[in-house]
Amino acid sequence: MVKISVLQHNPALHVPIRPGDPTPVQRNLNPSMHPFAKARERTRALNAAKLDKIFSKPFVDSLEGHIDAVEVLTKPLESLTTVASGSWDGGLILHNLHTRSEMLKLPQAHKGKISGLCFADPKGSRLLSCGVDRNVRLWKVGTGDGEDDSGASSQEPLHVYPWKTSFNSIDHHRSDPLFATASSTVQIWDETKSAPVSNLTFPTSNETVSSVRFNLAEPSVLASVGSDRTFTLYDIRTGKAERRVVMQFRSNALAWSPTLPTMALLASEDHNLYTFDVRHMAAPVQIYKGHVAAVMSCEWAPTGVEFVSGGWDRTVRIWSSREAGGKEKGPGGREVVYHTKRMQRVTSTIYSSDARYVLSGSDDGNVRIWKAKASDKLGVITARERASMEYRESLVKRWSVDKDVGRVMRTRHLPKSVYKAGQLKHTMLEARRVKDERRRKHTRAGEQKPVAEKKKTVITEQS
Amino acid sequence: MDALIARADAIRPLSELKAVKTRDSGKGKAKANSKGKSKYNHIANKKLRSQLVHQHALNSNLSKNALETQQNLLSLAADDAGSIQVTGPLEKTWRVSQDEIVASVGGEAAKGRRELTFGPGQGAKRMKWSQNGKGGTKVSSVDWMGGNVNCEVDLLAGSNLAGAGGNGGGGEAARDVTFLQDQSFFAVAQKRNVFVYDRDGVEVHRLNNIIDPLRLDFLPWHWLLVAVVHELWASILHRYDHGNADSCAPHEAGCLQYPHSNRHNAVVHLGHQNGCVTLWTPNLPKPAVQILSHMGPVTSISVNPSDGGSAGSVNMPGRYMATAGRDGKVKIWDCRNWKGVVREWTVRGAGDVELEWSQKGYLGVLSGGSVNVYHPPHIVTPYTGSSSSAAPPLYLSHPIPHKPLQCLRFEPFSDVLAIGHNKGLSSILVPGVGEPQFDSLEADPFENAKARREREVKGLLDKIQPDLITLDPSMVGKFDSAALSASGSSLVATAAQSLLDKSDKVKWGANVQVKNVGVDVPFSRMKRVERLAVQGKLDTTGAGDDSEDSDVEMKEGGDGDSDDEGGLTREEMSKKRKMRGKNKSLKRYLRKQRKNVVDPQVLAVRAKVDRMREEAKAKKLQMKAGGAVEENKRKSALDRFKAGSGK
Repeated sequence: MVKISVLQHNPALHVPIRPGDPTPVQRNLNPSMHPFAKARERTRALNAAKLDKIFSKPFVDSLEGHIDAVEVLTKPLESLTTVASGSWDGGLILHNLHTRSEMLKLPQAHKGKISGLCFADPKGSRLLSCGVDRNVRLWKVGTGDGEDDSGASSQEPLHVYPWKTSFNSIDHHRSDPLFATASSTVQIWDETKSAPVSNLTFPTSNETVSSVRFNLAEPSVLASVGSDRTFTLYDIRTGKAERRVVMQFRSNALAWSPTLPTMALLASEDHNLYTFDVRHMAAPVQIYKGHVAAVMSCEWAPTGVEFVSGGWDRTVRIWSSREAGGKEKGPGGREVVYHTKRMQRVTSTIYSSDARYVLSGSDDGNVRIWKAKASDKLGVITARERASMEYRESLVKRWSVDKDVGRVMRTRHLPKSVYKAGQLKHTMLEARRVKDERRRKHTRAGEQKPVAEKKKTVITEQS
Repeated sequence: MDALIARADAIRPLSELKAVKTRDSGKGKAKANSKGKSKYNHIANKKLRSQLVHQHALNSNLSKNALETQQNLLSLAADDAGSIQVTGPLEKTWRVSQDEIVASVGGEAAKGRRELTFGPGQGAKRMKWSQNGKGGTKVSSVDWMGGNVNCEVDLLAGSNLAGAGGNGGGGEAARDVTFLQDQSFFAVAQKRNVFVYDRDGVEVHRLNNIIDPLRLDFLPWHWLLVAVVHELWASILHRYDHGNADSCAPHEAGCLQYPHSNRHNAVVHLGHQNGCVTLWTPNLPKPAVQILSHMGPVTSISVNPSDGGSAGSVNMPGRYMATAGRDGKVKIWDCRNWKGVVREWTVRGAGDVELEWSQKGYLGVLSGGSVNVYHPPHIVTPYTGSSSSAAPPLYLSHPIPHKPLQCLRFEPFSDVLAIGHNKGLSSILVPGVGEPQFDSLEADPFENAKARREREVKGLLDKIQPDLITLDPSMVGKFDSAALSASGSSLVATAAQSLLDKSDKVKWGANVQVKNVGVDVPFSRMKRVERLAVQGKLDTTGAGDDSEDSDVEMKEGGDGDSDDEGGLTREEMSKKRKMRGKNKSLKRYLRKQRKNVVDPQVLAVRAKVDRMREEAKAKKLQMKAGGAVEENKRKSALDRFKAGSGK
């Protein structure tokens, strides 16, 4: 006898059992059931890339209050909301990022420019400032948390450390009550003493030190950059300069990596950023090219992957050290550029402690808050939304080699001045390269060999 | 300082830590990793290599899991699938009648067997199922599950045109119908234009720029409405999303009969009156493939949507095409190489033969007064018996008394075959033809209004650009093979290089380096010759150098003179010219100057003259040979009716 059965779907299995239940889903993963799966995914990736561009509105807010250019920004290690800024007129403001209000305002903290700022403890209850008026001042500032009674700020400094020369930079020791200042020499101060404890200089050095920073992992190690085009390492326990490199151009700022103890980032006058591993100082680890004018400041994100830089070209740029080294995107990867019409030369940039925001202080006297990721959504995000965002992100990443998706991701708008300056710079560098090539061509074979960019950076290494 | 360096040295890369861990814990993953590692050993970039190895491990895991899941799903669905099981060799499936099937399955399933009778002389001529098989269009849209007619569009004044009309009746006859993205809209090709109706039969749109349409089809992933226009004899792909229709890629395609879109690469197959089948994509002005399939008009085309139950094997979906012609033949073609027919057989009965593949690869053939269904492996296996035209073993047969039978359509995700005929519409049960396991994210017969809306929006967002329609749909997301080979070899295949072939290298000597042109070297830094090559202005036809050129010119130019001057060498020629006073020093100076200049215009003119000369020469030769011209012409199906062909 013939056995016959006919395909039947049980409708009860395909509708929700109770009202409000999700509709049951049936899947079949056979590729023939999903025609054009790849092509459709590509379309989705293209849309995701476009959405990313549509949503990228990085500017969050601008903190006003200074009447002259902002020179320095600093944040305490353990606070998400407190940020201090100092300006050219000697004004010092303590901002609360959460409420976007001023917790403390000192219109005349120093006479003349405040050149350096740092918090003296991780909580951010004491602030050190130095200026061109040849003084270092220690301020007591409220954290705004209201935890202790001593939270109230005072208009008068706790302590004043006078000296003979004007200061350029200041940094506090991670654990001990010590701080380092940069003037014509690098000096170590004890908080309790009114004169420097020690004077660290390289024997043959005769320079103005522009920035000084303690290492984050090994707090006795100190690094400085100065007008002699040098990058110098000191040890405060031995009390002398350990070694230094002389580079082609001087550096303006310096930052130690929070995750790799020996990695330092330099913001150079030659429009580039360099990362150096202090174990091998003969050449930088990586060169980050992109700025079209001198880079004035740099700081690592707390993750140790990204870093932010601000420059004379009126842009803030965010770089990823993980993307560096790709052939397609250029040696330093492709950075994100932030700019607005009213932002002037950027003199200082910092990351917020949660790595979600970037702050920039510029010549126009404003402190600006930016999102670290331009298309980030602020506010509460539901789980479904989060999932779709993550899906979009991975789609774009997967299809970034596609011509159209890549084009959408690459395209960015730059101010005309920056764009033109970039073009001009490219022309000049190209001409130089061609000239070198021709020169090589017309010398005897093998006499002149091309030098790697990294090798060109460092002139000598001294110790 | 030393402490700092010691701290830094203690930091190990994440990969090393992981390697230690895997050595401790499991061996399976380490094995997969090592396999990936060996696969990518040739890649120099460390970062890229580690990324690829990681991706390889992920992918292999994923594919393993997916396979497992799929097997589980299929085992679940296996109970649902329909079948006819015979117990002995004497029992034949084709002996089973519809009454027996209905009697044995009973209940809900038996409702698939149905007879819908429309008005007299208004049978169903064309019909389509929607993507999920929930409703079928026969101009009256029928909600199949509910068993009631959704809407009947009143096209003839007063009378109810229920069955897709166009069968010789007057008035506004409907010629073809198709559902759009889902069952809520359908398009009807009427005498004047294509009209779009919603599920209630309300006219929502009239596509004015499609005049006198004959056939319709819809590409669901591209949101393209394919219309074959009668009078112009052209097929036009129209972009259609919600009321905005614009012409996307009109093609002149000759006299048409039947369109069918391949579900897996969206290529439109057209059958022609002269027996040809052409494959069209919107981005080509000519058919991508053209084959002479039948001796007579092609009446029906269908492409196999199934992959023969073996995912990922060589039997990829869309591999086989079936055609039927008015010469009474059914032919199966392999779409990968088009090298002749895989299998062909003759069907009996008068009238046009219609055919369609089901989701599971069963082939339904409508001819004469009955419908025959054949089952999969035998349809596509080449027949090796003595007679070349034996039909594959029959699976099921069903006679229908209402001639002529107009069309047949398998319902998706179901074992139902609908047949349109003169009286209306009958549906029969064919066990095993439907895919038992549907995918809710693609097409769900049970979806509610909310899911339908969501799928429509998502479908619009995922709409594929018409430019991406190609014969090979896997082209998307693959490396450009030309670019890939270029990066591997030292010589880069570029526009310049392809033009600058060997003879040019001889011609231009060492001045031309075709290496790396176009990839690394920008246009501004190319050699002049390379620039010309890229621009397409380079003369690639010429020989040797200038002096040789003039030699050739002279020999071929003056036909009469060539006899007396032919034997002379170049030196003798120049002497002769000198004697005639033709070789002035200024002229020589100018010629030498000219010789060293590569002028695109001169080169182009020279190339043109050469080409014309070649053509003239070829023509002359042909004239001498006589009737050879006729031999080269392509044969047409109608040639055999010519007087004197006699073969």
